[in-house]
Amino acid sequence: MGEKITIALGQMSCQVGNKKQNLRTIEKKVKQAKKIKAKLIAFPELSLTGYIVRDTAYELAEPVPNGPSIQEIEKIAKHEDIHIVFGMIERSAKASAVLHNSAILVGPKGYIGKYRKMYLPTHSVFEEKRYFRPGYQTPLFETDVGKIGMTICYDIYFPEITRLLSLKGATLIVCISASPSMRRGFFETLTTARAMENGVFVAYVNLAGIEDGLQFWGGSRIIAPSGSLITQAKYDTEDFIHATIDYSDINRVQAWVPTLRDLRPEIFTSLREEAENL
Amino acid sequence: MILSKEALKLDLPLTATRLKRFIKDYVRNTKAKGIALALSGGIDSSTAVALSALAVGGDKVLALSMPEKETYNKLDIEHTRSLAEKFGFILETINITDILKAYYKSVPAFEPEDLVSKGNIKARARITCVYYYANHQNRIVVGSSDKSETMMGYFTKWGDVAADISPLMDLYKTQVRQLAAHIGVPKEIVEKPSTPQLWPGQLAEKELGIKYEVLDLILLGLENFMAPDEIASQLNLRLKHVEEVKTRWLASEHKRRAPLTMKMGYRTPAMDFRLPYKSP
Repeated sequence: MGEKITIALGQMSCQVGNKKQNLRTIEKKVKQAKKIKAKLIAFPELSLTGYIVRDTAYELAEPVPNGPSIQEIEKIAKHEDIHIVFGMIERSAKASAVLHNSAILVGPKGYIGKYRKMYLPTHSVFEEKRYFRPGYQTPLFETDVGKIGMTICYDIYFPEITRLLSLKGATLIVCISASPSMRRGFFETLTTARAMENGVFVAYVNLAGIEDGLQFWGGSRIIAPSGSLITQAKYDTEDFIHATIDYSDINRVQAWVPTLRDLRPEIFTSLREEAENL
Repeated sequence: MILSKEALKLDLPLTATRLKRFIKDYVRNTKAKGIALALSGGIDSSTAVALSALAVGGDKVLALSMPEKETYNKLDIEHTRSLAEKFGFILETINITDILKAYYKSVPAFEPEDLVSKGNIKARARITCVYYYANHQNRIVVGSSDKSETMMGYFTKWGDVAADISPLMDLYKTQVRQLAAHIGVPKEIVEKPSTPQLWPGQLAEKELGIKYEVLDLILLGLENFMAPDEIASQLNLRLKHVEEVKTRWLASEHKRRAPLTMKMGYRTPAMDFRLPYKSP
């Protein structure tokens, strides 16, 4: 793995429920990424279907990795020699009515892995627990383009996941998101915080456009381990951004603010005890 | 799931008891003096008025028969009268012909050839009359929309569907027929073909292009998350036919929800204010 890679973020506005059209948008942006020699492109949470699909979630879900849409994206990744992260509704292979809100990573050699959203917002306008089972794993994927950990949207409010991925050795956290405008302030702060507190790169890609009266605020961004904003997409509308990141920065930042060195494992025991007795 | 007539069979005594209790509780909780509703003499409104009268007593139920010249049907009027006699509710007739004429004359864009838009005026004119009585006499409005028509979007937005409560909205048309017969709605009303009465000769099944016996089973399948090909295969229908019903169902969601707004605030009407219908 080289130290420097170019990554792209495909901030998209989805046609709700229209996987065919969304796949076309994904393909178009992948080709754009290829042109600027990006090695990785990420798309938002549920980018295959759009976010507000409600009861149609059941018919839009596909198994992973054998569903037709993943296979389509695998073909694109192979053809364009690129890594792709995107979001979809995963249907459990064992129980067909069990769904997950998943992030999928495919590479030039095909399917690499998935992350199932652990924290499912079910408050305000969100009703994810009504449809999805939470995930229980935080896998780290060692690829040619970085040690990648994936998180999804509301997960970012829970620093434990990014911390766990960092402890496993993550160098790049790809957070895919479908965040509506009223949450912009939180995410702008938290994406920076997750990068800074762990000394890792964070690539945050959000939906754009309006679904059922919800304006997804876009604003996708790539943040350096120091917390500085490397690049940011437009608010509210579709966009495509890219940046070249240098993994050697991680070592420099982690030596400067050594949060992982100073970690206190005994705190986690207390955290667990307190959380169990809230 | 097996899609058959059997699947749509109701426990009729239980259904009637629950719906009567639902109506009675709502009237009591809102401290209304009674009920107002539109009565065409068709199966749905006849069932709604009969249930209402059984729930709160006929003397508290006002049914408005609102004929107009173009769709005047003597038999329907006779049916409303016989029903009023049987269930003891108050029947009042408002001829809406002049209201409609005034409307047609006053709206610069009015085109009589546009049957649907013109017909919708009739449905909306009728509901304004019902709500006048409801406001003036402190009554709640009981709607008579059934589940088949609601799922298909086969109604006038803010017209016939407007109500405070709609006791029949979770019963398919063929289930309303079962319930109607059970509570004593006369056979000739139960068996006559449904019509929204928006223009002369309009028949629901002809317009929808499908018999309710088949439509209800398709909708039941969709309700139960069945895939269109499975429904088509079970009912021995062409897949295209089932897909058309599904498309129509999904495309009419805007008619079944409060108006869409853009979320701007902390909690938003019809979006994430989640309050009970009745607060202490």
